[in-house]
Amino acid sequence: MIGYDIINYGWKSLRGYPARTLLMLLAMSISVASVLVLTALGEGARRYVKDEFTSLGTNLVIVLPGRNETTGAGLNTMMGVTPRDLTLDDARALTRHRSVKRIAPLNVGAVEASWQNRKREITLLGSTHDLIKIRQWKMDRGRFLPQMDWDRASPVCVIGKKIRQEIFGPHEALGQWIRLGQHRFRVIGIMASEGRSIGMDVEETVIIPVASAQSLLNTPSLFRILIESKTRASMQSVIDFAVATIRERHHGEEDVTVITQDAVLQTFDRILTTLTYAVGGIAAISLGVAGILIMNVMLVAVSQRTAEIGLIKALGASRRQILRLILTEAVLLSCIGALIGFSIGIAGSWGIRAALPDLQAYPPTWAMLASFLVALLTGLLFSLLPARKAARLDPVLALQRH
Amino acid sequence: MLTRDFLHLTSSAILTHKLRSFLTMLGISVGIAAVVILTSIGEGLHKFIVAEFTQFGTTLVAINPGKTSTMGMSMGVFGTERPLTIEDAEALSRLSFAKSVVGFIQGNAEVEGNDRTRRTTVYGTGHDFPTAFSMPVSSGQFLPDDDPRAPRALAVLGSKVRDELFGNSNPIGKRIRIGGDRYRIVGVMESKGQVLGFDLDDTVYIPLARGLEMFNRDGLVEIDVLYHEGIDEKKVVAGIKRLLKSRHGREDFTITTQQQMLDVMGSILDIITFAVAAIGAISLLVGAIGIITIMTISVAERTSEIGLIRALGGRYSQILLLFLGEAVVLSAIGGVVGLAAGIGIGQLLSLMIPALPVHTPWTYVVLAEVTAVLIGLAAGVFPAMRAARLDPVEALRAE
Amino acid sequence: MIRLEEIHRDFQVGDQVVHALDDINLEIGQGDYVSVMGPSGSGKSTLLNLIGILDHASSGRYFLNQQNVTDMDELEESRARNQHIGFVFQSFHLVPRLTAAENIELPLILAGIHADQRRRLVGEALETLSLTDRAEHTPDQLSGGQRQRVAIARATITEPTVLLADEPTGNLDQHSGAEVIQTLEALNEKGITLIIVTHDLKLGNRSLRSLEMVDGRIVSDHTQ
Ligand SMILES: Nc1ncnc2c1ncn2[C@@H]1O[C@H](COP(=O)(O)OP(=O)(O)OP(=O)(O)O)[C@@H](O)[C@H]1O
Ligand SMILES: [Mg+2]
Repeated sequence: MIGYDIINYGWKSLRGYPARTLLMLLAMSISVASVLVLTALGEGARRYVKDEFTSLGTNLVIVLPGRNETTGAGLNTMMGVTPRDLTLDDARALTRHRSVKRIAPLNVGAVEASWQNRKREITLLGSTHDLIKIRQWKMDRGRFLPQMDWDRASPVCVIGKKIRQEIFGPHEALGQWIRLGQHRFRVIGIMASEGRSIGMDVEETVIIPVASAQSLLNTPSLFRILIESKTRASMQSVIDFAVATIRERHHGEEDVTVITQDAVLQTFDRILTTLTYAVGGIAAISLGVAGILIMNVMLVAVSQRTAEIGLIKALGASRRQILRLILTEAVLLSCIGALIGFSIGIAGSWGIRAALPDLQAYPPTWAMLASFLVALLTGLLFSLLPARKAARLDPVLALQRH
Repeated sequence: MLTRDFLHLTSSAILTHKLRSFLTMLGISVGIAAVVILTSIGEGLHKFIVAEFTQFGTTLVAINPGKTSTMGMSMGVFGTERPLTIEDAEALSRLSFAKSVVGFIQGNAEVEGNDRTRRTTVYGTGHDFPTAFSMPVSSGQFLPDDDPRAPRALAVLGSKVRDELFGNSNPIGKRIRIGGDRYRIVGVMESKGQVLGFDLDDTVYIPLARGLEMFNRDGLVEIDVLYHEGIDEKKVVAGIKRLLKSRHGREDFTITTQQQMLDVMGSILDIITFAVAAIGAISLLVGAIGIITIMTISVAERTSEIGLIRALGGRYSQILLLFLGEAVVLSAIGGVVGLAAGIGIGQLLSLMIPALPVHTPWTYVVLAEVTAVLIGLAAGVFPAMRAARLDPVEALRAE
Repeated sequence: MIRLEEIHRDFQVGDQVVHALDDINLEIGQGDYVSVMGPSGSGKSTLLNLIGILDHASSGRYFLNQQNVTDMDELEESRARNQHIGFVFQSFHLVPRLTAAENIELPLILAGIHADQRRRLVGEALETLSLTDRAEHTPDQLSGGQRQRVAIARATITEPTVLLADEPTGNLDQHSGAEVIQTLEALNEKGITLIIVTHDLKLGNRSLRSLEMVDGRIVSDHTQ
C-alpha cells in the first residue's frame, strides 16, 4: 500500500461519517484558533506598550528625586519628596556633558484654570522649549514655549486639545489670556498630540515655563529631569554622570534615582510576554481536550470497523499497515482541523486589528508554529492507542463479530 | 417512566462503553478543572487584596489635596495653591464622628545611626497612627501626643531600618540623624512586610510638623480620618466635605473611602478573573463538542434500540429524556471529577508556591457543577432530538 | 376490534411511487389467529407496522378497539402501543446490554409502573415461559429460541390485546421455531389476538384464518 492510497483510504473513512468528522474538525479548529487569537491579543498589547514608551522619546534618561534601598525605583520613590530638592541648578549642571543632547526639567501640579466664566481643574506642566523635541510631540497650531533663560518666568502657556475644547469651546483660543491659579497666561500654542503618553494625558495638560510653574506652585523642587542622550551607546555614561553630579551637588548624598526608559520598557515587555505565554498555554489546554476527543472517536471507529479491519487483515494487511491506516486518519483529521483553525485564527486577529486599530494584534510566529505542531502531535499521540488496538485485532474473531 | 428507572437505563448505557464514557467525561473534567483553578487563583488574589486593604480597618476615609482624580491618584500631591494643613487635621479631629485623625507627609531621606546610613522612606505623622492603621509597635512606644506645631525630635523605626542600622542591639534611646537633623528613637514598629508594592518596614516615622519642615512643604500629602464604627459612611463624607469647604472656601480636595477603593479594586479583579475563566472555558467548549460527537455516535449505534423502545410504546419525550439524561450524567460526573481535580491542583499550587493565593468559594463549586450540567444539556439536545425524531419503522430495520 | 378501511400506504422513492399497501379493507376480531403470507415485497411488514401504529397510512381509516387511530396524537399512539399492542420481530431486538429480566421489564418501565409490581409481573412471565433460570442472562448468553421467548414475554408483559409477530421463526432452527409457535398459540388460546407474518406454508395452515398478499393487495382471505 503506498502513501497516496493510505491517505485516500483515511479520507474515505472520514467522509463516511461526516457528522462526527465535522465535529472533531470543529473541536480542533476552535483550539488552534483560540491559541492564535489570544496570543495575537497579547502580542498586540506588548507592541502597544512598546510604541507607547518609544513615543516618550528615544535615548531618554529620567532623573527623579528620592531613592530607596530595598525597592529601588519603587512606588515609594515615584511619589516621594526629599529634604534636598532637585532644583533647576541641578538640571543645568547636567547639561555639562558632551553626550547630553537636550535637557528638560519638569514640574507638575494641579491648578484651576478659568477663562471668562468657564473653569476646570487641569494638570500643570512646567518645562522648557526642548520638552517638545524630547517627547516628540506635535503642535496643532501656534508654537511651543519659546527658547529662553530657564530662570525667567513668562506669562505664556501651551494648552492641550481637550482643554481648548472645554474652556474655549467655539472661541479662538490663541492669544487669549487664561487664568491659572492666581496668575494670567497668554495662550501661544495648542498641542496636537493624541495624549498617548504614560501617566499623563497631554490633551488635558497646560504647559508653562518652568520658572513660572515654580512660582505658581510655590516650590523650588523639580518633579523629574528628562535627558536625551546623543546616542544609545552613550546613555550609560550619561547615567553615571548624572548620578555623580547630583551626589556632588548634594554634598555626597545619593538621593536621586536615574532610570532609562529601556529599563521600564523591558519590565513591561517581560510581563506582557509572560502573560502572552500564559494565555496561550491556558488556551492550549483545549488542544489536549480535542486530542482526547480524537482518541475517543478513533476508538469507537476501530470497534465499529472491527469486521472491516478483520477483512483487511484476511486480505493480507500487516499490523504495521493497519497501524499506519489509523494513524493517517487521525493525523489527516488534526491537520485539516489545525488548518481550519489557523485560518480562523488569522481572520480573528485581522478582525481585532480592524476593530482596534491601535492594537497590532498579529499572532507571534512561535504561537503559529507551536499550535500547529501541538495539534499534529496530539492527533498522532492520542490515536496511538486506538491504532494499536486495531493492529492487534485477531482477524478470526474480528470477522466473527458480524 | 419513574426517575429511578430513568437513571438506571441511562447509567447502564454509560457503563456499557466504559472507556468511551470515561474519555468523554475526561474532556469535560479538564475544562472544568481549568476554569476552577483559574477562578480560584483570581478569587484568592481578590481575597488577598481585600485583606491587605482592610487590615487598616474599614472605617477609614482618606483626604487628598486637589480635585482632579485621574486613575485614583490626585495630581494635587505635587502642590496646590491651598494645601491641606495641620490645622485642617486638627479641625477634623474635633468632628464628633472622628475617632482619630492622622495627617501624612511622605518623603525620602538619608537616615544615619550607629555609624551606618540608609536611604529610606520617611513618614511625618501623628501619634494616632498606630490605632488608625492597626500597626502596633513591637518595642518602646509610638510618637507621643506632643503639641502638633512644636513636637519634640523623636523618631520611630520600621523593623527593616532597625535591622539594617542597629542589627540585634536595642535602638531605643539612641540618637540618629534623619535628613541631617538629630532625632531620638522612642520605638520600633512590628514588621508588616510589603503591602501592594510599598515596603512598610523600610520606613522611619517622625512628627508631622518636623516632616513638613524637613521636606520644606506646607501641605500634607494625605489626612486619614478613622470614624467610630456604626456611623453611616455617607454622613462622615458629608461632614468632612462641609468642614473643609468652609475652611478652604471651595472643594479643592478629594475624599476616598475605604469602600470605594475596595469597589474599584474588586471590579478590576472581577473583570480579570472573568476574562481568564473565559479563556479556560474554551477547553470546556471543546469538551462539550466531545459530548455532542460521542452522543451522535451513540444515537447512530443504537438506532434499532430506539426503534424498539418506540414499538414498546416509548414516547418522543421519553427518548429525548433518555439521551439528554445520558449527556447530562456524563458531563455532571465529568464536572465533579474536574471540580475535585481543580480544587486539588489549586491547593497543591498554593502549597508549592506560597506567594500564590488560591481560594475556591462554595458558590464557585456549585456554579461550576451547574455549568457542567448545563453543558451536558446543551450538548445533548442535538443528538437527543435526532434520536427522538427517528422514524420507528426505519429505526427497527437498521442493524 | 381491528378495522382497516380503504388503507393506502405509498412510498416515494426518487420520482417513483411504490404502493406498498393498495386499498386494504380488513376486519379482525378479538382473539382471532391470523397468518399473513405472500411473496417478498408484497407489503406484509408494512401492514403489520400499520396495525401496530408504528407507521401511518397515506389514506384510509384505521379503528383499533372502536378508537380512530388516524386521529391519535403522538402521546395517545405511544400509550396505545404500550397498552394494546405487542411486537415480536424476526431479529428479536433485545437490548444487548440489559439482562433478560430487564428486557422484559422495559414496557412496564415506560408505562411508569412501580418496581415491586414490575418484579412480580416479570417473575410470572419468566415462569410461564420457563425462563426463570435465565433472568439475569444477557441476550448474547441465550440461544435463539430463548431470545425469541424473552421477546415474546416482553411483548405480552403489559397484557396487550393484539400480538404482532413478523416472521418470528425466520432466524430459528425448526425445533426452536416450533417451540416459539407453541408459545404464541398458547397465548392466543388465552384470548390474545395473534397476527403472524410468515413464509412457512405449514405454519400458515395452522391458523384459523390466513391472508395472502400480492403487490400490496389482499388477494385471498381464507377462514378454516
Ligand atoms: N421506507 C420505505 N421506502 C420505500 N419503499 C419501501 C419502504 N418500506 C417498504 N417499502 C416498499 O414497500 C413494499 C412492501 O415492503 P414490505 O417490507 O412491507 O414487504 P414484505 O412483504 O414484508 O417483504 P418481506 O417478505 O421481504 O419482508 C416493498 O416494495 C418495499 O420496497
Ligand atoms: Mg417483511
